[in-house]
Amino acid sequence: MHIPDGFIPLWQCAIYYVILIIALYFSLQWARKNLDERTVPLLAVLAAGIFAIMSVNVALPPGISGHMMGGALVAIVFCAPEAAIIIFTLVLLVQGLFFADGGITVLGANVINMGIIGGFAGLYSFKALRKPIGKIPAIFIAGWLSIFLAAIAATLELAWAGTFPLNLGLITMGLYNAIIGILEGFLTVIVILGLEKVRPDLLAWNREKKIVDLKSESNEAKSK
Amino acid sequence: MNGIGSVAELEIETNKESFLHLLDGRVKLIILVFIVIYTVYTTQLLILVIMEIYLLFLIYLSHISFKTALKRILLLLPFGGLIIVFQPFVHPGTVIYTLPFGINIYYQGLMFGILLMSRLIVSLTSIVLLSSISPMQEVVQSFRKLGMPKEFAMIFSLMIRFLFMFYDELHRIRHAQKARNFDIFNKKTTYMWRMKQVGYTIMMMFLRAYEHGESVYLSMVSRGFSDKSGLYHDKKRKIGSKEYVFIAAAVCLVIITQLLIILLSLPGI
Repeated sequence: MHIPDGFIPLWQCAIYYVILIIALYFSLQWARKNLDERTVPLLAVLAAGIFAIMSVNVALPPGISGHMMGGALVAIVFCAPEAAIIIFTLVLLVQGLFFADGGITVLGANVINMGIIGGFAGLYSFKALRKPIGKIPAIFIAGWLSIFLAAIAATLELAWAGTFPLNLGLITMGLYNAIIGILEGFLTVIVILGLEKVRPDLLAWNREKKIVDLKSESNEAKSK
Repeated sequence: MNGIGSVAELEIETNKESFLHLLDGRVKLIILVFIVIYTVYTTQLLILVIMEIYLLFLIYLSHISFKTALKRILLLLPFGGLIIVFQPFVHPGTVIYTLPFGINIYYQGLMFGILLMSRLIVSLTSIVLLSSISPMQEVVQSFRKLGMPKEFAMIFSLMIRFLFMFYDELHRIRHAQKARNFDIFNKKTTYMWRMKQVGYTIMMMFLRAYEHGESVYLSMVSRGFSDKSGLYHDKKRKIGSKEYVFIAAAVCLVIITQLLIILLSLPGI
């Protein structure tokens, strides 16, 4: 999923950077309004966490391995795709600058795929599906979509760059990430449900409720 | 992706002493990113070869182990290598060889694959060099000095601090799981059960690091930390003659390589 340096021509990289700068401008506006003494460490920890969980490789039944990406997770925890944009810019910057995973010139393209598309697709699919199909399937689909759509976007970018043909890319990247997406969806469900059980106050949709109410809800869930 | 050890190993490399380690962080960052941009811009293999030789010379000057640097580059190659492998088959042009089942190898595709591979190797060498001579906090501070928005720089700085804590937590959890004979690839347990354990591991790692991080951050705030705080500060590193020599060498190299290409393209040469 991480496009490396040299695979996209510089002029196209510049277009992606312009999109990234605009997205970051709005995300920082959101951060100025919404971040307080509790959410700053949460955002920084999530960024470090996304970095670390990308190192946890898991075997999948067809004989391939993959790792969680976390775009939907971040957007759902904060109820804001802006958080995913800030976190993925930082994570991909560190990966590109220190580990050469992804790249510097392609940072804009990679953040668009994993942060912007992953975050927006994850959060809004969750919001749209939460009521009609329930919370757990909605989180699963949000996680799956965030990976699948990010991979499709990467394929389109590589095809536009003339690096990889569209049809072959859609088949290989699409199929591979449709499988990886199952893992993403499953792990996103476990992490969010776990967080809701242990620290419901960390989830944005619970912040407006009183902590006492949350604790009693949590105790009720445990007793059941 | 990189394992638990690589974050700590990188910081050890950055603590070595050399002419390059002592340069101002901003200069190292700008020049090595400039080399990556130039690498992506060029389509001339000769330029890429010259840039790689220059970067290898800088690695020699920085006293970084060639073995470690090459090992890191080789480990990173497969990430882009898979797309490069397909290039001779997917870029139609002059057929140079036909494999069984009518699969053609095209000259244009092969050359494009070589160009992508060369760009990838030079970019990787540049990043491996940058990450081996600049501590992470120095890079954060360099970004801050170069105009990164303060809120963004603060989250960036905290993220780097939490990163080491996170890896420690992950290491502890994995150690505890290993002590209890947990193996993620052990097929004696059901796949769903193993996946659940991975999910719980991620959640526990996140929660433990958050709870530590929250107390660390509140302690920092109570001691006067804000987005204006200069956490990494080294007064000795100022832009001086060494930095100007380093900048001039890189700029001259780019100009010379461009002139060389123009000269070689002239008729009769």
